[in-house]
Amino acid sequence: MSKANKNILRSLLLLSYVVIIALVIYGFGALYSYLNTGADRSKMLHTEVKQVDQYLPELEWAPLTNEGRVIDEQTLTAIENDYLDAWYVKYVALKTNTKKGLDDYYTDNAVENIYSIISINSENKTTLEATTLEHHPNLEFFSEDGQLAVLTDHDVIEFKRIFNGETLITEVTEKSSYKVTLLLEDGFWRIRHLVKIKSEPYVVENPKEPIKISDIKGINYYPQANPWDMFGDAFDADVIASDFELIKNSGLNSIRVFVPYESFGKSNVDKDKLQQLTTLLELAETANLKVMVTLFDFYGDYSVLDWTLTQRHAKTIVNALKNHSALSSWDIKNEPNLDFESRGEALVTAWLDKMVDFVKSQDPNHPITVGWSNSESSTILKEKLDFVSFHYYEDLDQLAETYKTLKTQITDKPIVISEFGMSSYSGFWNPFGNSEDSQTDYHKTIQSIFSQNDISFMSWTLYDFTEIPKEVVGRLPWRQNAQKHFGFINKDGAKKGAFEYISKQ
Amino acid sequence: MRLKYLYITILSVLLLSTTVALQANKVGGTYELLSTQNSYTAGDVIELQFSFTGNTDVYLYCSNSYGSVVLNPDVNNSKLRFSIPQSISKKSGVLNWQLISDKTELKGQVNILPKASIKTIESYLGPPSIEAGGTDFTMLVVIPTDDLDNPLIDSTIVAIKHQFLSNQEASDVYTEHGFAYKNIYSENKSGRILISSESLNLNSKEYDVNVVPAIPTNFEINAERIHDYADGNQITTFKTNIIKDRYDNIVSDGTYVTFFITNKDGYKSKTSGATINGIATAILLQPDHEDQWSVKAYVEGMANSNTIVLNYKQAVEDFEVAFSEDKRTIIIGPLKSFMNQRVPDGLRVQLSIYKNGFLENESIESSFNGIAKFHLSPDRFPKGTYKLVLKAAGITKTYTEVRYE
Repeated sequence: MSKANKNILRSLLLLSYVVIIALVIYGFGALYSYLNTGADRSKMLHTEVKQVDQYLPELEWAPLTNEGRVIDEQTLTAIENDYLDAWYVKYVALKTNTKKGLDDYYTDNAVENIYSIISINSENKTTLEATTLEHHPNLEFFSEDGQLAVLTDHDVIEFKRIFNGETLITEVTEKSSYKVTLLLEDGFWRIRHLVKIKSEPYVVENPKEPIKISDIKGINYYPQANPWDMFGDAFDADVIASDFELIKNSGLNSIRVFVPYESFGKSNVDKDKLQQLTTLLELAETANLKVMVTLFDFYGDYSVLDWTLTQRHAKTIVNALKNHSALSSWDIKNEPNLDFESRGEALVTAWLDKMVDFVKSQDPNHPITVGWSNSESSTILKEKLDFVSFHYYEDLDQLAETYKTLKTQITDKPIVISEFGMSSYSGFWNPFGNSEDSQTDYHKTIQSIFSQNDISFMSWTLYDFTEIPKEVVGRLPWRQNAQKHFGFINKDGAKKGAFEYISKQ
Repeated sequence: MRLKYLYITILSVLLLSTTVALQANKVGGTYELLSTQNSYTAGDVIELQFSFTGNTDVYLYCSNSYGSVVLNPDVNNSKLRFSIPQSISKKSGVLNWQLISDKTELKGQVNILPKASIKTIESYLGPPSIEAGGTDFTMLVVIPTDDLDNPLIDSTIVAIKHQFLSNQEASDVYTEHGFAYKNIYSENKSGRILISSESLNLNSKEYDVNVVPAIPTNFEINAERIHDYADGNQITTFKTNIIKDRYDNIVSDGTYVTFFITNKDGYKSKTSGATINGIATAILLQPDHEDQWSVKAYVEGMANSNTIVLNYKQAVEDFEVAFSEDKRTIIIGPLKSFMNQRVPDGLRVQLSIYKNGFLENESIESSFNGIAKFHLSPDRFPKGTYKLVLKAAGITKTYTEVRYE
């Protein structure tokens, strides 16, 4: 036997030994964890069911005029929670074609109806991604012994994406009304009867007259010390106030700020951060600046069952700011078209579509846009938006042409370039990058294009930064370093050449 | 070389033409609904038919009260046929559908009515017991359903019947939102109401509700005893009369009555009992010395009784005390009761021992065969002068100068 063969044999032996040991350890581990599961006394009474917000469609009870017993608030809340959970578990079931959890929220007779739908769907390989966005229940009846409730849920807005296998075959939005009979069984309000009494396709009319915006000469704003992280402990009103003064004195009239979805608490918005955002608007008002608020920064889920949570987030923020005079407009999301590849264009667009409607319903008085990352995407949803905005980091030679082309496609609405800029980084990671001089030229040129074509603009950004979070451009140092040098003011606080052209040519 | 170009040209022409052909196939579909019926009864066979030209690659989305499905067509004779599965068509309510093709957006809905015949009457009755008096009530909720578990259409008539004592009533109610309900009020008598319902000639089973008496009204008490001597041995029994509510119903068995006894020194004792057939009974050991009890009973928070006064006569008039030679064994008795009989065992005798005016020790003995005996150990009570106080049956005897060697 040759030496090589011997070595192969040895290594195989060694490898098989490692594999066997791994399997044995895994086996013991599995046995151990199996023996640690099972009947847990604390779980018997459902006391440990954790209250996590997972489904928060808009729900508004009609004034209570029910027959039977007068209902107390606690019971009404219990009915509301279980009723919404019933919708949620149903949609989870129809998404996965599994039956898990359904029997907690539907009685034995009622749940059979869903089971049979699941079996039809799994046979046909149909799956549904669906959610309800609005409920308007009216309590018709509450029985004297407190065990039975009947309600009519008016105008339930249901959105469904229907798949055959992996293929999306259609999207449906319906407005339906249901008669619901609920029974209190072992602590759960379970659906006993559910009858759809009315249903029609649901379409939100696009606004006939878009809300006007005034000319924007603006800048995307983050403080120098804590970019992408301006709210929370690092929030410094004094710094922001002096930055706003500087922006105002440089001849600009607007800023664009970002509300990060997760760090603002998702569906349960952090009150302190919201207060800071309000403070920011007040500071802007003092400096006579208008604020474009960009919602849902760093949001990337889009899954249909998550929509109600994003609605709740938007509702809290929009309602807190909508009466503020410094507010100029809502940008629903920054560069959502970058998520098309990973989440699917149809899904992202559907979410934007519904979110635009929702923000409009909460605040009909401020214009709404979406900050597309390029001009090609910016015709998406153009009928819905009050004005169109896109970001331009391409070659300046093409800008006038691009803008004019876009103008022919979007004739009736203003178009804003809500981000543009040039990094003045050239160094180890990009020896052929741009100098501060070329940045100055860039801004000089682009300002002349703006004034020739009468374009509203918001530049990127006031400061050079020293730290860029990895979520923004990733970890690659050449990207990080480029992102650090887009400012009009360098990291030592000195104005760069481009500052002269921050607001004019 | 030339051949190669030709080859490429032919290939690309071929490719282009197939794409064009495919596209033509895609845009070519037109569809029209042929079925005209838009109202069905649950359980009917529902079939939607469409005439079409072109593409048969279509689906039918349809959604009933409980969920949504997607169906594939049967194609024949330029017709598309979709049969709605039985499990969808058997549920009442709106069934909306949408034909999914590349181009047209055909949509519509059919209304499925519940069957006209009844299969079950779902009944929910509660609370299961109510109070007499005509203000409290129980509620019967009925949901008449067909054999496919659909609630019948609104305005279905339901007769709700109930019987109580000699009354028998029936009243008609109409379903609304799928159900009907009726409040059934109690009358002045306690007892049991039997309830049933009927709809479309189907009768429910029998349900019953207990009408429990209302809260008790004030009542009287009395006491029974074998004799009125305070012998500390016999018991006095307290009894209420029959406690009733204000409609003359005997209160529920188990109504808890507490008797409060105040003696002549103002000390309170209590004893209690629960009613059976309206009468509560409680007992208490008679005192061992002359006393006067005043007794009053309460059903807490609801009713109370009159106050009765009981006098207890002294049973043990006097007793003898004998000391042993060393005075360390003290024999009390024989203790004699009212007929000079020896007192029953267990009469309490108390000895208190004082030295220099301070209480040294206190010990209690029970009488046995009329005698109680104390022994004072020399280890515990060494040489000296003690004061001994003996108490039994309310009588106190004091020996001030007892000298131990």
